[in-house]
Amino acid sequence: MAEFIQISIGGLLVGTIYALIALGFSLIYRVTGMINLAQGGFAILGALVGYSFSQSLGLPLPIALVGAVLVTTAAGTLLGALTFVPGLKKLSNANVLMLTVGMLTLIEGFLLVIWGSQPYSVPAYTGEEPINFHGILIPTQTFWIVGTAVAIILCLWLLLAHTTLGRALRACAENSGAAMLMGINVRRMTIFSFALATMIAAIAGVVVAPTTTFQFDTGRLFTISGFIAVVIGGIASFPGAIVGGLMLGLVTQLATAYVSSLFSNAIALIILLFILIYAPTGLIPSRIVRRQDVREEPRAWGHITRLSPTVAWSAAALALCGMLLLPLLVTGTIISSLTIAAIIFIALIGLDLLMGYTGQVSLGQAGFMAIGGYTAGYLTINYSVEPLIGIVAGVLISLICALVLSIVTLRLRGLYLALATLAFGLLIDSCAVGFIDITGGPSGMVGIPPFSVGSLYFDTPLSMYYLVIGVNVVVIFLLFGALRSNFGRALQSIRTDQMAASALGINIVRYKLVAFVASAGLASLSGSLLAFSFNFLSPDMVGTNRSLELVSMLVIGGEGTLVGPAFGSILITLLPTIFQPLALYKTMFSGGLLIICFLYLPRGIYGLIAALLSRISPRTDGNTERSEGLVQGASR
Amino acid sequence: MNDPANILEMRSMTKTFGGVRATDNVSFEVKDRAITALIGPNGAGKTTVFNLMTNVFPADEGDVIFLGKSIRGIPPMAVAGLGLIRTFQSARVFPGLTVLENVLVGRHRLVKHSGGSQLLWTRGSRGEERELRERALAMLDLVGLSQFRNIHAVDLPMGGQKMLEVVRALMSRPRLLCLDEPAAGLNDTETAELAILLQAVRAAGIAILVVEHNMSLVMNIADHIVVLDAGSVIAAGAPAAVQVDEKVIEAYLGREENAAA
Repeated sequence: MAEFIQISIGGLLVGTIYALIALGFSLIYRVTGMINLAQGGFAILGALVGYSFSQSLGLPLPIALVGAVLVTTAAGTLLGALTFVPGLKKLSNANVLMLTVGMLTLIEGFLLVIWGSQPYSVPAYTGEEPINFHGILIPTQTFWIVGTAVAIILCLWLLLAHTTLGRALRACAENSGAAMLMGINVRRMTIFSFALATMIAAIAGVVVAPTTTFQFDTGRLFTISGFIAVVIGGIASFPGAIVGGLMLGLVTQLATAYVSSLFSNAIALIILLFILIYAPTGLIPSRIVRRQDVREEPRAWGHITRLSPTVAWSAAALALCGMLLLPLLVTGTIISSLTIAAIIFIALIGLDLLMGYTGQVSLGQAGFMAIGGYTAGYLTINYSVEPLIGIVAGVLISLICALVLSIVTLRLRGLYLALATLAFGLLIDSCAVGFIDITGGPSGMVGIPPFSVGSLYFDTPLSMYYLVIGVNVVVIFLLFGALRSNFGRALQSIRTDQMAASALGINIVRYKLVAFVASAGLASLSGSLLAFSFNFLSPDMVGTNRSLELVSMLVIGGEGTLVGPAFGSILITLLPTIFQPLALYKTMFSGGLLIICFLYLPRGIYGLIAALLSRISPRTDGNTERSEGLVQGASR
Repeated sequence: MNDPANILEMRSMTKTFGGVRATDNVSFEVKDRAITALIGPNGAGKTTVFNLMTNVFPADEGDVIFLGKSIRGIPPMAVAGLGLIRTFQSARVFPGLTVLENVLVGRHRLVKHSGGSQLLWTRGSRGEERELRERALAMLDLVGLSQFRNIHAVDLPMGGQKMLEVVRALMSRPRLLCLDEPAAGLNDTETAELAILLQAVRAAGIAILVVEHNMSLVMNIADHIVVLDAGSVIAAGAPAAVQVDEKVIEAYLGREENAAA
């Protein structure tokens, strides 16, 4: 019993942390209808600044902590005001979510540059000696954390319920349009809520720091846990955020203690999936309901460029020739990097089909890469099957998983779908780490043979390069045929207006399913090729970080453009190889680039290039075509 | 009971939103190969009738007979599949697609070659695509939008978007075309063009049900008029008869003015 209580206290402690992060989510969600995934990043920023102030600069603890919270809040608010707030006006819901992924990446990159990748820990505020209460040991930091949480919740409640400012905030949450008409500055309120949420995250980071070790990317875990907590509890409700956080902490700690650490994640994710499916509004639903992307307001749409067939075909031919001749010009390292970029591009094409064309967010795409990679690797190592059969087996398993997942998540849209796919990715991730007998666990799967067909071996970097380029060309050629026809237009109409699409007889369910399953198949293929190319596969090569990286690459390259993501893939993969000394800046660079693309280049690098090409290419004579059309129309 | 001259029959449709009867026992017929106008003051329940017809939300009571069969409760996609195509009150063109592509989406339900054959670039699917484009261009020419075919659909002015939506609906070769306030946001010239287009559509044998506020347009083109007020049908018949119906005048002008007149 004492043990149970001991573990429960630990669970509640972890839960309090999740609850604080979740509270920030919920606060921003109430005002803007969006989730800010950078929240966990701010917590770690606070913790690291606190560390530097107290340990490196030797400031007295209270000053260091308050200073860290203020600095983090200021920096976070500035970032929010420059990115998140303008993003709300310009972008669709799904893209704002991705924008916050970019913010998280930018923060992590910044932390990596300043503080490096080593883990940090700080001493507890009031000594390391735990209090012994009838045989149950309670670390003193627990009281600080719980006390801080209670104080924050109390202050927040007082602010919202009893001040004019709070009333204005609630007005924005209920109906921001009407609030604006009543003279409330919605933009200022948004920034204010963002600042408040950042401050809560920073305080959470500072008080939690002594209980754990943390490094530049620990914030990701905080974000994910907080996100799960807020959905379990009810996304727009403060009590929901707290209950969800505490419950999540309790369940994961108890599961770790009594089952195993592998299943603690799995159990949390299964609870999450159940809640998403059966009670998407959470355990404590709020009155505030925000619509999730039934129809995307046309705010995300800038100029669109359609290249004339001549220009498009010549550009494609030129690019292909370039790719084929490249090995004559550059070194082997670059070719190896390009091979990886091209392999990842296969998964990106799938993601583009799903996100760019159909508008369905997926944050778990690397989960399918993992399924493909591990299946192919396991079968070729242990049963010496032909690599090709390994790939096909992986794709089949991925298709089945995708089918089940998409049927389960069919009703989910926007944020909830993003979360469900994220949960799927995490689930696969924890399986990859946990099933050591099959996957080799955290240290990875070794001894995967090179790819071969019959007696034809692709065991040199160059042969692998040509193989992958070949696969790219085939996939693009096939999909281009479908995407420029009826199929592609149906997907695009679903992306922007489901109601109008169904009024024209488009089977939304079927098309979403096809897009989802196809994207899973392509991701799986990409994962298998990655395993064959490296002769090795580890969970972090196909984990959640990869999923988020895929989204960055997609947006940077240009979503909804089929070939555009290649630019993103090449840029992000190749730059660290070419500029080795700058490799440290890669994360920060890709985060910054993602934000810039979202805010200023909605069609990414592809959009830039297409605009350039259409400017230099001669205009086709529209008049002739038109009169031809008229003649044909009249004869019908 | 079911008259083959009627393409659509609404039978006692009732829908309540939280105690408010949006439509109350609404029954009317839409004649085939004719233009039927559904009119009524703001809030009379006209758009609700459209949404009930296409099952955007379920009716509490009543039935809809389309082409002799009940379509109550079948999903909007399947309703469209039967040839009942509707447009929306606020033009809902698809952003991210060009004007031409928007029209092409309209053809979706009739495309014969599947995604698989498009994937493989088969001759058939390419031929069909080419034919589709020609037809779409011809349609755009008809309404004077073909010079804008390659621009972003949402960049069209409001009138152009409304027209585009009508053309898109026509591309799907409807049996019954239901237009929700097609003339809202159009100027006089555009409205006149719309009238010509709708008459041409009728001449092509397609039935039209149109919700419209523009009385001169309605009186000009409609063969039958159904008047809705406060969720109930208060009059139905030929334009001339409806125009002098006392209940209609009362609904539009109010009792006092009517008495004074």
